[in-house]
Amino acid sequence: MADPRELMQRYQDGDARAFRELYALVAPRLFGYLVSMAKSRAVADDVLQQTFLKIHRARAAYVRGADPIPWMYAIAHRTFIDETRRRKRAAVPAGDDVPEIEAGLTGESVERSDEPRVDPELAKAALDALAELPEQQREAVVLTKLNGKSVAEAAEIAGTTVGAMKVRAHRGYERLRALLAGRKGKAA
Amino acid sequence: MTESRDELDVLAAQPPPAPPKISAALEAELGQLAPVRARRPRRQLAVLAGASLVYAAALLAILSVRRDLDELPVGWLVAAGIAWLAGFALPMYFALVPRAGSVMPRWQAAAALAIIVSCAFVVLGWNVHPHGPSSKDYGWEHFLRGHGCLWLGLATALVPVALGALFARGAMPVRSRWLAAALGAGGGCLGGLLLHVHCPIADRYHVGLIHGGVVAVAAGLSALIVPRIAR
Repeated sequence: MADPRELMQRYQDGDARAFRELYALVAPRLFGYLVSMAKSRAVADDVLQQTFLKIHRARAAYVRGADPIPWMYAIAHRTFIDETRRRKRAAVPAGDDVPEIEAGLTGESVERSDEPRVDPELAKAALDALAELPEQQREAVVLTKLNGKSVAEAAEIAGTTVGAMKVRAHRGYERLRALLAGRKGKAA
Repeated sequence: MTESRDELDVLAAQPPPAPPKISAALEAELGQLAPVRARRPRRQLAVLAGASLVYAAALLAILSVRRDLDELPVGWLVAAGIAWLAGFALPMYFALVPRAGSVMPRWQAAAALAIIVSCAFVVLGWNVHPHGPSSKDYGWEHFLRGHGCLWLGLATALVPVALGALFARGAMPVRSRWLAAALGAGGGCLGGLLLHVHCPIADRYHVGLIHGGVVAVAAGLSALIVPRIAR
């Protein structure tokens, strides 16, 4: 797999192919994060496009040798918050279309389409519970668990302290556990 | 926690969703992709510090040095000057220079410094303000007469804040208000340094609330304005 640092440097040097490689590398992760946060594939799609446009326009801000991924996530995080506020002000529904989330997160990416599918029932249960978490807790769980970020990285992306991120992630897990246990109890 | 983790593990094992294609707007910009110069935070900090100090020195040359300068304790003059300089340099450093391996500046340190310097110079000015025979006192009754110093301090802060905003553009997607506040506090300290050497008014209200207050006002204004242009 290509090194995002090297791709970013080539992109800064004016290599459009490096940008496409970077997009192929980072966009699926950012898109998964945004779909989980936005609860709508359409909104996530829009925010992802805005995010990459911002990354493109701010590419000179990249410091050579640094890991660009947390910075890109932070831009996606900021863009998502701005877009959510804009939609609230304009009274545009943010979209609570869980089926779309499902469609998004269980949709197979090109490079991993040969991997075995996981249990769709379990995935759906987790997605439904995740969608019910408050935004900050959902973000903490999505970043630390689904996107594999460390607590420190997640805190840097969300612009919060490591302690606050730990608390959000812990509360998120606790709430998820309660939600999932409640559903299992109802089903039984 | 095991149950929720099991379900989350299942979800984490899912392949990432296929993202949409690159938008037409971005494709159009990629069509004219030009090389850009990468950000060099330490060099930018050096340029900012150099240009700001030259600007402050030029202002001082136009305005003249305070008339009671020779009558004041040298130790206080030097120590306060160093404190103002540190108040200028440290918030600027944390607002512009990221940790090694990171793109984004250290907002927590920058925020802490913005708060500390905004309060510290008010307290210091209120409590330590030596007089000389040629010093002036406005006191509380004529406190508002000293507003010129506030404007002068803010005018001095303008160059470092503008340069900081320009250099940090695109690098502060999150917590940009705190980073901007740190830029403002740093700029305000440079204004405070200029006033320290220029203004002969030596009562506690003026030195504490106006010379020290420049830092807090510059930090607040910067936090309001800079994120709009630099995010």
